[in-house]
Amino acid sequence: MKWADRAARARAAAAPGTASAPGGRVIAAVREAVRRASTVSLLIYALALGAGLGLVSADYATSGGYPFGGVAVGAWTAWPRAGTVGADPYTRAVNARRGEIPLAIGEGMLLTAAQDEDGRTLDAACTYAIAGITPPARAWTVTVAGRGAASPGQTALREGFTSTEILRERDGRFVITLSPTVQPGNWLPMPRASGPIRLALRLYDTPVAASAGTLDRTGLPAITRTGCTG
Amino acid sequence: MTPRGRFLLATLSGLVLAGLVHVGTVLLIPGLSETDALSRAQSSETLDHAMPVYTLATGDTPAPAEAWLPIPDPSVAVGLCAYDLADGPMRVSARTGPLMLSLAVHGRRGAFYAVTDQAAVRGALDLVVLTRAQYDEALANADDNEVSHDVRIVAPERRGYVVVRVIAALPSQRSAANAAIQAVSCTVDSPDEETKDETKAGG
Repeated sequence: MKWADRAARARAAAAPGTASAPGGRVIAAVREAVRRASTVSLLIYALALGAGLGLVSADYATSGGYPFGGVAVGAWTAWPRAGTVGADPYTRAVNARRGEIPLAIGEGMLLTAAQDEDGRTLDAACTYAIAGITPPARAWTVTVAGRGAASPGQTALREGFTSTEILRERDGRFVITLSPTVQPGNWLPMPRASGPIRLALRLYDTPVAASAGTLDRTGLPAITRTGCTG
Repeated sequence: MTPRGRFLLATLSGLVLAGLVHVGTVLLIPGLSETDALSRAQSSETLDHAMPVYTLATGDTPAPAEAWLPIPDPSVAVGLCAYDLADGPMRVSARTGPLMLSLAVHGRRGAFYAVTDQAAVRGALDLVVLTRAQYDEALANADDNEVSHDVRIVAPERRGYVVVRVIAALPSQRSAANAAIQAVSCTVDSPDEETKDETKAGG
């Protein structure tokens, strides 16, 4: 048998004097264990593999953001079904673990962005222009947050803009400048000195929530990088 | 069977088992979680009024530490009312003001109804969450001459919570938004009162 031959060769390689690398010895030991394994130990191995891999993968899939259910529109991802009865089990598990209270369909819709228009991760050291219009909504807010744990002891000057307080152009369009340094106009300071950041656009009382698939990237503000420091 | 075949079979069954454990765990998390909004809402002692979940920062007062929401909106105040329909129908009464207000009813599986202050009648928004049996009872007891402005919602489950959100469009409106959350009343419509009213009306 091919396998038995290989095992024999491995045994020979693992024999004292001829053994070279510790990696080879480990492989040989594993092969030896596989060859000698009893039914009970194989059963325990299968159970441990199933429980371990299953729990670790479930934890990985439900920690952090929603794994799927988003509608990508340009740089933004809309989450129209995150708070509904029709939400997928992963979304429900994520909500339960984080204690999140998602927006219901009649209430509003959440859109998030972690990348700019060119697909680069939003970086706290760079300056971004968030320009354009928003879908129809009674009110909306744009907020910026660092990803991961917040740095304690630091109160942000401003965390976001609402549709009422923003300065607009004559045609109703707006430009928010997300920058670590002071900017004229709608300046949104960076929440931290470095690292990845994320933007959240919340539309309140919007008809878009029921038909997120019809969203167009021209109907959402574009996120473009205008420069980086350091 | 060769040792290698046996080992491969064990690995394969381990992977299948992993898939089952993965699916089972993901499905069980919402029910077993102790940090989800429903469990936290039920552990609160606040009666008759919405429990503030996220209070907006006003002036020098920062947003308090009670906020558990992972990424809260800094201009939206959030309050919660937990309900258990075994005690009777849940009545959520809100007075509309200059600030935008919305109510959403969440069950264990997610939000099944939401209404904003645009649905208010004469500045009042009354949402009644009830079970199918309580709904039928309310319909049977309804007086045709009396117009009810209640929005009646049949809940799919006995337990859940109502979320109140008030949007402060300007920083100066934040304290008003916090007050608007506190002003929302969440009471249990006890069936005793209704029967009392009926006997009064009848006798």
